[in-house]
Amino acid sequence: MTGSEIAVLEGVARSFGRTKALHPLDLTIGRGVVGLLGPNGAGKTTMLRLLATSLPPSSGRITVAGHDVTADVAQRTAARRHIGYLPQEVSFPRGMTAAGFLDYVAVLKEWGAAERRRLEVQRVLGLVQLSELGTKRVSALSGGQRRRLAIAQALIGSPDLLVLDEPTTGLDPEQRASLRGLLGGLPGTVLISTHQTEDVSALCDRVLVINAGSLRFDGSVTELVGLATGRVHVGRDASQGALSTWRTGTGGIRSVGGRPAPGAVPVDPSVEDAYLLLRAAQQPTTGARP
Amino acid sequence: MTTQDWHVDDELWARYADRSLDAVAASSVDAHVVHCGDCQRRAADWDPNAAARVWPGVSREVSRPRLPAPLRLARRLGLSDSDAVVIGASNGLYLPWVVAVGGALVCAMLTGISVRQQDIAFILLAPLIPVLSVVAAYDATDPLRELVAGTAFSKLRIALLRTSAALVVAVPLTVAVSLGVPGLEDLAFVWLLPGLFLTLSTLVLMTWWRCWVAAGLTGLAWSSVVAGLDGADSALTVGAPPVQVGFAALCCAAAAVLVRRASTRRLMGGAR
Repeated sequence: MTGSEIAVLEGVARSFGRTKALHPLDLTIGRGVVGLLGPNGAGKTTMLRLLATSLPPSSGRITVAGHDVTADVAQRTAARRHIGYLPQEVSFPRGMTAAGFLDYVAVLKEWGAAERRRLEVQRVLGLVQLSELGTKRVSALSGGQRRRLAIAQALIGSPDLLVLDEPTTGLDPEQRASLRGLLGGLPGTVLISTHQTEDVSALCDRVLVINAGSLRFDGSVTELVGLATGRVHVGRDASQGALSTWRTGTGGIRSVGGRPAPGAVPVDPSVEDAYLLLRAAQQPTTGARP
Repeated sequence: MTTQDWHVDDELWARYADRSLDAVAASSVDAHVVHCGDCQRRAADWDPNAAARVWPGVSREVSRPRLPAPLRLARRLGLSDSDAVVIGASNGLYLPWVVAVGGALVCAMLTGISVRQQDIAFILLAPLIPVLSVVAAYDATDPLRELVAGTAFSKLRIALLRTSAALVVAVPLTVAVSLGVPGLEDLAFVWLLPGLFLTLSTLVLMTWWRCWVAAGLTGLAWSSVVAGLDGADSALTVGAPPVQVGFAALCCAAAAVLVRRASTRRLMGGAR
């Protein structure tokens, strides 16, 4: 492991009974924001839970910040000190205030001294713009505010590896933009699972596309979009055999994939176009990054 | 109330600031100000020191959590601040303690009104009271199970803290019931080891399943055992020294499994 690698997966697989949620996977994650794209049930959450150490792998080895989390409890505990984790769903305990909840999580993250905890809670509340709601009960917060509170707990201690499972769910466009600004400015590694391809385009240095438990793409956003270059057209008619078509605001029909209709012109593809094309492909595709 | 042709006036600001608005009106002001630049600026002009007033509240909330009185007493007796936060996170402990009190009362009623079957009723119910109380302590924070699993804090420590906090009420109450209900005096302490074993077993099962599933399995198993005992002699059977020794051994075994599951469990996988 070199100094820039924060997480390494070697032959990591996970099954639930007879269902293989994740096929053997080798992956190295360095600094920056890494986006994880894939349809529902593709194995995204399983992969994130494995990296967050809340789920053990069925086989293989996971190393986080130089600590083998599959070795023993001491290594796993050491690794957990470097991880911030936002699960896909966080159900809050009854009766807690926002600050009380963060205080509790700070204790679980071994922030023992009350004064230091207080300052850290204030810091992360400020990061997610909930400073003035610290004394409110969680049950009185809106869905978006609860999601930001859940994100705040992951930020406690400025972890080297931030694992976020669909953090933008439930946030309005303004809050999403604010979150992007926050995540893009973090110094460590952020692994973010999302269905929002625009989040990936705006934020990620690297994209992983996973489908049916296997890694289908590993590369930069530019490389991902490059897969769709020349395969997205706008014309009066839809492309034959297109994966997706819709009428644009100017009245043309935008087609992703397929054989272009006569007179159709190629247009710049988006991450979503590339993702749709990639999903349709049966074989794994690898970008420039090993 | 969120349209841009409407703005928060001075009177509304004053009532908002002193929290005399009802929840609906206060939420409407919140929602409007989020989207209205004019009112955001007016809010700053009207009350530039709002943040300075809010922060002490947040600080108070974090540095001096509103703990139940017994927990404040425990803090004075040496319980650490962080341990108090972990225990206090179990819904302020009110739920597990209410369960303990309610369980003890039900136990007293059933054994009191069913004189012929009171021994077997007591042996069936008493060991389950601490189980229910402990489970209630976990249920309050169980929604965070996924999140807690990935933190460095010792899961065994969490288990012991919450269990101790629940048992400190459940055990004395149940003993009091056995001493208070006529005819049960001889059973006052017989149930303690079975109760401890069932509690430890439930904690072990909770490393696999949700707390109420674990409690259900434990309760079902214990009910089957008691049903299989010989009627009125069941209390004598459970209280017999060899049986008590057996429960002590089972407690040690369950404790060992709990320690292993909670703190030294290896993740599956490992090096290829």
